[in-house]
Amino acid sequence: MKFTLSWLNQFIATDGLTAAQIADNLTMLGLEVDSVIPLFADLEEVLTAKVKTVEKHPDADKLTVCAVDTGTETVQVVCGAPNVRPGMVTAIALPGIKLPDGTKIKKSKVRGVVSAGMLCSARELGLSNDHQGLMELDGQLAAGMPLIDALGMRDTMIEVDLTPNRSDCASVRGIAREVGSFAPAALKPLVDSVTPLTGRDTGFEVVIVEPDLCPRYAARKLTNVTIGPSPLWMQQRLAAVGMRPINNIVDISNYVMLESGQPMHAFDFDTLHGLAIVVRRPRAGETSLTTLDGSVRQLDAEMLLICDAERPVAVAGVMGGLDTEITESTTTILLESACFNPISIRRTARKLGISSEASYRFERGVDRNLADSALERAVNLIVELAGAQADPDGVDVYPGKMPLLLLHLRVGRVCDLLGAELSRDQIAQHLTSIEFKVRPLDATTLEVEVPSFRIDVEREIDLIEEVARLVGYNAIPTSQPVIRMDSPKQDPLRSLRQKAAQAMVAQGFFEAINYSFVAESHLDLCRLAEDDPRRKVTRLINPLSEELSIMRSLLLPGLLENVRRNINFQQPDIRLFETGKIFLHKQGGGQPEERLHLCAMISGRRYGEAEPLYFATQEADFFDVKGALTNLLSALRIAGAEETLVFDSQPQQVQPYCDPTCAVVIRNGELVIGSLGKVHPETLKGFGIKQAVYFFEMDLDALLDVDRKSPCFAALPKYPAVKRDISLVVPDAVPAGDLLRAIQAQQQKYLESVEIFDVYRGKPIQGGHKSVALSVTYRSATATLDDQSVDKIHGKIVNTLMTEFNARYREGAEA
Amino acid sequence: MEQELLKLKQEAEEALAHVAGTDQLEAFRVKFLGRKGGLLTGILRQLGQVAPEDRPRLGQMANDIKLSLETSFDDRKALLSATVGEGVGGTDYSLPGRYLPFGKLHPVTQVMEEICSIFEGLGFAVAEGPDVETDHYNFEALNIPKHHPARDMHDTFYVTDSTLLRTHTSPMQARIMERQDPPLRYVVPGKVYRCDSDITHTPMFHQVEGLLVDRQVSFADLKGVLTSFTHKIFERELPLRFRPSYFPFTEPSAEVDVACVICGGNGCRVCKRTGWLEILGSGLIDPEVLKMVGYDPDTYSGFAFGLGVERIAMLKYGIDDIRMYYENDLRFLCQF
Repeated sequence: MKFTLSWLNQFIATDGLTAAQIADNLTMLGLEVDSVIPLFADLEEVLTAKVKTVEKHPDADKLTVCAVDTGTETVQVVCGAPNVRPGMVTAIALPGIKLPDGTKIKKSKVRGVVSAGMLCSARELGLSNDHQGLMELDGQLAAGMPLIDALGMRDTMIEVDLTPNRSDCASVRGIAREVGSFAPAALKPLVDSVTPLTGRDTGFEVVIVEPDLCPRYAARKLTNVTIGPSPLWMQQRLAAVGMRPINNIVDISNYVMLESGQPMHAFDFDTLHGLAIVVRRPRAGETSLTTLDGSVRQLDAEMLLICDAERPVAVAGVMGGLDTEITESTTTILLESACFNPISIRRTARKLGISSEASYRFERGVDRNLADSALERAVNLIVELAGAQADPDGVDVYPGKMPLLLLHLRVGRVCDLLGAELSRDQIAQHLTSIEFKVRPLDATTLEVEVPSFRIDVEREIDLIEEVARLVGYNAIPTSQPVIRMDSPKQDPLRSLRQKAAQAMVAQGFFEAINYSFVAESHLDLCRLAEDDPRRKVTRLINPLSEELSIMRSLLLPGLLENVRRNINFQQPDIRLFETGKIFLHKQGGGQPEERLHLCAMISGRRYGEAEPLYFATQEADFFDVKGALTNLLSALRIAGAEETLVFDSQPQQVQPYCDPTCAVVIRNGELVIGSLGKVHPETLKGFGIKQAVYFFEMDLDALLDVDRKSPCFAALPKYPAVKRDISLVVPDAVPAGDLLRAIQAQQQKYLESVEIFDVYRGKPIQGGHKSVALSVTYRSATATLDDQSVDKIHGKIVNTLMTEFNARYREGAEA
Repeated sequence: MEQELLKLKQEAEEALAHVAGTDQLEAFRVKFLGRKGGLLTGILRQLGQVAPEDRPRLGQMANDIKLSLETSFDDRKALLSATVGEGVGGTDYSLPGRYLPFGKLHPVTQVMEEICSIFEGLGFAVAEGPDVETDHYNFEALNIPKHHPARDMHDTFYVTDSTLLRTHTSPMQARIMERQDPPLRYVVPGKVYRCDSDITHTPMFHQVEGLLVDRQVSFADLKGVLTSFTHKIFERELPLRFRPSYFPFTEPSAEVDVACVICGGNGCRVCKRTGWLEILGSGLIDPEVLKMVGYDPDTYSGFAFGLGVERIAMLKYGIDDIRMYYENDLRFLCQF
């Protein structure tokens, strides 16, 4: 909602308040001011000037040389205007000034004669289209005044960002009412008196077929209208608030709407058939209407129409029809001032894709009691400015007339909810300042009559809010709530995610956050099979673009996009992870299943940005992601991950986006809960990535169901450990991890731990074989082990490995 | 000879302790352990000249010294090669330390966690809700019926007629109150979605919702809690103002502004010359909302608030383009 200060002052004086103070007060009342813009700021330095003498230019017939009094000095100006004459008062732009059209005034010579400024026409100053000659100002005006003051045009535009509840403030008069709560002056009415409308002898009738959708319809007829431009002051006000002047009738109806909040519509009376206005829904066959913007609008059965005796002539409250619009030849008009059902208007405006100033107001609710006074105001202006005669009577059909709402307001309730001490009388005073009628019911209760324009006030709480904002939120004290202590329950998934994220960060991964909606093409790039459940996605009806049209069913593609971006920006060493929801179709539709996943990626150099001084350049590989995952699981207290979970490196089902030669599937029992490996080359190609990318992904929701060990103290060993190494040659196909597990599976006494410390292929090892070196630690809890005992057990272990894996000693190595 | 050996051992050990850098180390090796002309080798060569009865003892002794020196030499060598920073003047301590880099949480996560932990410190519990929400919880239960103009304030992504991407974290208000009786205190962090994308809006962003319900909760309490929060999150006691606003699910409703963290309230581009920055929306929970979850509004009252995480992160860190949050550029992520 935009208005100007001078317009506001038409309804309330604001002497002693600057525009900035008014704006600040409005903002603190809940009418947030977006901007305060001085009008005609570019004319600020243009002054009034008195022409003293006028002489012919020595070298040009059409030019004159004038001596001009600028208030402080007399300057010589060359002028080409025909109306220049001694004694006239006009406008001067002195050197250094830039005119609204961009012309910069300089001291110059015109055909050899010095000219120190420019006398201006109204068009040159952007004030009107008049270019007949210099601006003619009142001859009594002193020279040297700022022109905008001389013209009485100094003004400021203020724009308020209205919240949807405050339709009463979608008008200058409404804003003035709020100003009245902090400005001492009296609020002036829209009109001094309202002509009673009886509907007798009006020469037309109004029938409301749908009173639920149209609680009130008032109209008056005006004859002998002369269509033409509206006066300059009105055009300027409309232009200042962003409305294009059209002609006097349209401008007046817009002007009164902005002033009062009551949308109006003028019909060319002579184009209406049958001397009747019928407010109804479309009849069968009435499927379209051409509105005054020239568009053909499709009507539906729910829409409310304004019709004449035969046909629709307007979409009620939204836009008028082309056939009955005001044209240059219009002489008789019918002016409508009506009230419509907000929901119906909103629905229709949405459906037609129209958002007009009228629909904006009707959707939010227009004061039912406003129609007659606003109509009076408009009729007065048309009579005054368009030379029209108004019929003395008019029609006002008001089936929706209702008594004003009376509410009880408990003083104690106000104080309790606001946490402020307010007396009954203070509360009454505040409400009265914005035209609520208040009377005490008893010592602690007020009866409040809600004015009809405050359609947002329906309950006691609404009044309490009014009191709060009038008292001023910042005048309400500040306190701390007193509340019983309790120990809130922790969300286990949330703490799991926090721990997981910390573990990832500690391992050098940066956290990424991607949009939850992605491109559908991701599913193809990830090579998901046609029947993959992750293809049953949650789709947006109104996505911003194809690229953001489905809810993600896996995290990997988003991170791959991030990998590409970073490579493109010369950051090829990447460790990224994301924890986020994925969305899976749920039986029966409705809301999808949301599961929290974690996906991590490594690409480029293993040590990335680590000091090259100490860390050799090595490309990251599978074991970097595996290590990160193992570490993560251990941080989540899933100790000995490969015992609790199954790391299946020869899975039946490889994830389609995983390179089958480097793929591991992680299961909890039979349930697949994650995977790790190398991203499939085809997928990488699809994402435009040319370097290898390793990843792991985990369903964190599923991890919640995995057994986790609470930390449990074990006594520190008292006796020394004995280490024995084994170096065995085994067929290449034997996974080294199987050797570890085979040793552990024997559950030999004193066996404490075992680790692989070397794997070697090549000479002198026979082809198709590798050497695996293991280090086994033995310890007794009750004694220092002697060599004999260890040898015995160690021998058993080695023998088992020899037979189970077809292994033999590596030459030159001892068992 | 025994004396010579012991003297040599002592000399060598002293010399080794002062060796700095590989050049000196090599010089030491040549001097003491060199096969040609090394001092120890020299002594060992004389072994043939000692009396035969002393030979095994001295031989053993020389051998022990040799081994001991070789071990010390190797240790010193290992130590030196571990210290790349050798120089004429000794170790170059100006060289960088050796460490493996660590990663960082996304700035939005960091700020969101910080917000939650401030409220957790005040006894609030943390709950999360679904991103794909029903029209009922996102709108109806918050007193925003179908054709309410307030729906214009929410550019909504729809999945079906009755399911949508939540436009705020407020749906959890109703979900929490439905399953629990007062007193309650919750914060709800999460992603929210609006179909809006330009330099100041991304279609997905993060909010933290909060609510507190009990007997006798007042607007003054709301002011107190949010003032404490704001002072904590910005780590200084910035001036605050509460400004009337409108949300269908709170009444009275308030926007909270802090004095501009950039210009200190003098007016700048960030605060649009007002000196104030809007950081959150809040209000007393509307009695309609309480009624819908079965609370008696005459017995219970409460307040709710919602704040934009990106906005606070921008103010805390001076980030000027919201879109950067979701590009996941490592040059951005490593800054926080």
